[in-house]
Amino acid sequence: MGTTLLAVITVILFFTIIFLVAKANEMSSLGKDADEHMEDTSNLQGKLLFAFLILGMAAVGYSFFELGPRMLPLSASEHGDLIDSMFNITNVVAMFVFVLTHIILLTFAYLYRYKRNRKAYFFPHDSRLELVWTIIPAIVLTFLVFRGIKAWNEIFDFEKLENTTEVLRFEATAKQFGWILRYPGKDGEFGERIIDQEHVSQINELGINWEDPNSKDDFMANELVLIKGKLTLAKLGAQDVLHGFYLPHFRVKMDCLPGLPTQFMFTPKYTTEEYREILSHKKYWQKIDPETGNPKWQDFQFELACTELCGKSHFAMQRVVRVVTQEEYDAWVNESKSYYYTVINPDAAPVEEELIEEVIPIKEEIDSAAVSIVARVR
Amino acid sequence: MSEVTAHHDSAHAADGHDDHHEQSWLTTYIFSQDHKMIGKQFLMTGIFWAFVGGLLSLFFRMQLAWPNETFPILETLLGSWAEGGKLSNDFYYALVTMHGTILVFFVLTAGLSGTFSNFLIPLQIGARDMASPFMNMLSYWFFFAASAVLFLSFFVQTGPASGGWTAYPPLNGIRDIALNKGSGLGFDLWITSMTLFIVGSTLGSLNYVSTVINMRTKGMSFTKMPLITWALTFTAVLGILAFPALLAAAGLLEFDRLLGTSFFLNNIVINGDLQAYKGGSPIIYQHLFWFLGHPEVYIIIFPAFGIVSEVLSVHSKKPVFGYRAMILSLGSILVIGFFVWAHHMFVTGMSPAIGKVFVIFTLLIAIPSAVKVFNWITTLWRGNIRFTVPMMFAIGFVSLFISGGITGLHLGNSTVDIQLHDSYFVVGHFHIVMGVAAFFGMWAGVYQWFPKMFGRFMNETMGYIHFWGSLIGGYMVFFPMHFMAGVPRRYYAFDQFQSFNNFQDVNVFITLAAFLVMSSNIVFLINFFYSIFKGREMTEDNLNPWGANTLEWTTPVHPGHGNWPGDLPVVYRWPYDYSTNGNEVNPQNKPLEEGEHEH
Repeated sequence: MGTTLLAVITVILFFTIIFLVAKANEMSSLGKDADEHMEDTSNLQGKLLFAFLILGMAAVGYSFFELGPRMLPLSASEHGDLIDSMFNITNVVAMFVFVLTHIILLTFAYLYRYKRNRKAYFFPHDSRLELVWTIIPAIVLTFLVFRGIKAWNEIFDFEKLENTTEVLRFEATAKQFGWILRYPGKDGEFGERIIDQEHVSQINELGINWEDPNSKDDFMANELVLIKGKLTLAKLGAQDVLHGFYLPHFRVKMDCLPGLPTQFMFTPKYTTEEYREILSHKKYWQKIDPETGNPKWQDFQFELACTELCGKSHFAMQRVVRVVTQEEYDAWVNESKSYYYTVINPDAAPVEEELIEEVIPIKEEIDSAAVSIVARVR
Repeated sequence: MSEVTAHHDSAHAADGHDDHHEQSWLTTYIFSQDHKMIGKQFLMTGIFWAFVGGLLSLFFRMQLAWPNETFPILETLLGSWAEGGKLSNDFYYALVTMHGTILVFFVLTAGLSGTFSNFLIPLQIGARDMASPFMNMLSYWFFFAASAVLFLSFFVQTGPASGGWTAYPPLNGIRDIALNKGSGLGFDLWITSMTLFIVGSTLGSLNYVSTVINMRTKGMSFTKMPLITWALTFTAVLGILAFPALLAAAGLLEFDRLLGTSFFLNNIVINGDLQAYKGGSPIIYQHLFWFLGHPEVYIIIFPAFGIVSEVLSVHSKKPVFGYRAMILSLGSILVIGFFVWAHHMFVTGMSPAIGKVFVIFTLLIAIPSAVKVFNWITTLWRGNIRFTVPMMFAIGFVSLFISGGITGLHLGNSTVDIQLHDSYFVVGHFHIVMGVAAFFGMWAGVYQWFPKMFGRFMNETMGYIHFWGSLIGGYMVFFPMHFMAGVPRRYYAFDQFQSFNNFQDVNVFITLAAFLVMSSNIVFLINFFYSIFKGREMTEDNLNPWGANTLEWTTPVHPGHGNWPGDLPVVYRWPYDYSTNGNEVNPQNKPLEEGEHEH
């Protein structure tokens, strides 16, 4: 209580002093000649504005030095490089305009501060000048729009799916406050979903139609597992409210909506292990984590986050993302348990041998050992 | 229309009197129909809300800077919302939501354009009052009712709205406090408040536009109108065209909530239980919302554009550079501003093909904006700049508008927006360009027209302290946020994520800077309220203290209802005849001299 009182008194005292000094200043300026007073204040404030320019630019430079390296993590996807190069180009343009206009603005303020003998120059307009600063921005903007749209077309070129034989597909359905991650299983095909009272239930939130043979080997994952170098299609949705599917390192962001499917396509560039190796050369990541005693890079994980306000625990919808090689992925799929046979109808689960037999024909058909768990795109 | 004419005539008949009816205290200060008093009422209510909105932001900034600390003071102030001195996550989101709603609508829309449209339009065009003073009074009282309802929602048991100021369904579209605490009664009150607000805003806007079209004094052609009046008129046009879309959206949203319709809802599954909603689309709500939401940012910034053009010109004693280009750029921003809304929705699942159209229009808007900036800068060139307090804020505005505007190049480009959408980069961008910059415009206006409003001056020294504290503090709060380009906004804490928890030092820095901004604004509040009663008085022999050309400075120290005691002033020249013809100042009502050409 005592400290609160002291704090309140200090604050009141602080503002009282400012007030008294300000009033005293006003009193003393009343006696002065108005022109002289204006010259004095304009001189002071003009110089302060110029000092603000110098110190402000220094602060901007320092913040780039201090915070720049933390700005965005290294892009871990192929289209992420497109986004980053567009971001960097825009940064260069923006910084150029920012510095140039601030230098002109604040230097003018300083140079033309009030002097009683100075005469302002009557300069109401100049069509040529105005044309110059209409056309130059127009040219720069055309360039930015052109490049931006070109990259955008490439990122959302879903025809790529048709030209690629192997595509990894997964389905992420968001709900308060977590993710339901569904993989198509060994057959590479998702079981059909029917959203009606008959299919949707507490143990079948997604409304999967178990009559569909493709649904039998679909499995739910606790973490998002991706394959390095493999074109990946995220099929997104939500149960209750809007959510946002965000993979910061992969530059992937797309809203998840109930009743309206969305999708995003990307290709991971590094496995988690490779990415850790890259981080091990960076200062921040070499620091020792006090909790584990290891250098930070050793415990690095890619993450999935929510970016659309979805309620009180919006900030806690974290899932680990792991990028692995094809072999590791295959092994992981082999270990994963079918949702149908573990939760919906455990009694019907086939014994091990039968399961293997079931898989073999598909393998032969596609003529690739690895493809068993990957979607074939029609 | 006949009522308007009648009022106009009666005002003429009352020539020679300050006031044409006897006014009681109640009709002078509370239910006033005098546009000047209504302007002041908007200003006072706006300042109240600015203080509340600012305070809310300090609470959630404390949570972001020191997520693991407890502050007993919070429990004292907020009770069960901050049990044990730690803000609950429910209430954190309520604070964020209310901060946005209050600042965007109640401060920077009503407090900014409400104040200056009311106060300045009739004075600057030489009119006795608004076209319909009664409707004008209603416009304020609808705003007051909206304010009262919104304020009330803080005291509801389940708390005020907490689903974001954009009120997206389904989070706000289903009346279920299990989904979101603030989606109960708190959000019903939010919708009620917004509805009242929109009615008030529309009544006001219609009035401003009709006044400008019909009630300009003799000689006040459109090309002789001060830029601020132009800007305020365009603001009103934007409001009339854009706000109805929000009214529609809010109405349909309430139907979904109360009547069980499915305008914005489809296939909602809550805890494995399929709800009965079928066939709607949440994206349609977003289109309706942003059809208002984007023009809304121009509703906020246009009055600031106008104020700054005026202040820069008056205090550098130079005509504003490129008067016609300034009007043209305002006009083109107004038009293009209606075709850019979906740049808020690049990654919401809207077709990527539509996104491209909005990229083009969005970046197109940078051209008129650039023209405005260069014209302001050229206005300073070879001027004789008096660094009065309003002038400092005007220069601060130009700086902030540049800094906040250029990051629009990043966000308007859909490719870059994939990464930046809903990140702190966005928070930094829009707070600088339409938060701090719009506030600087507002403050420039308050310091500039305070003598006209209250017949007294504000204290200069406190004004400079307010300026420097806000400029430096404002940049310290929002500039570092650009570096958090990968960190999502609207996060209560970052401890769940390795990817986002490396900015704790920055968050502490930002919160401390926010306290600096708040402190300098307490200096402003002291200065403002003290000066209303005890400030240095304006005298009859110095009616035009800044040396301005516009008509408001030809009225007496305390203009009555009707503004000019005698005949209305007649206008002979444009408002920017500074430093020409051998005079620094050539008021608009000064006849052209022999051989002088109209500009």
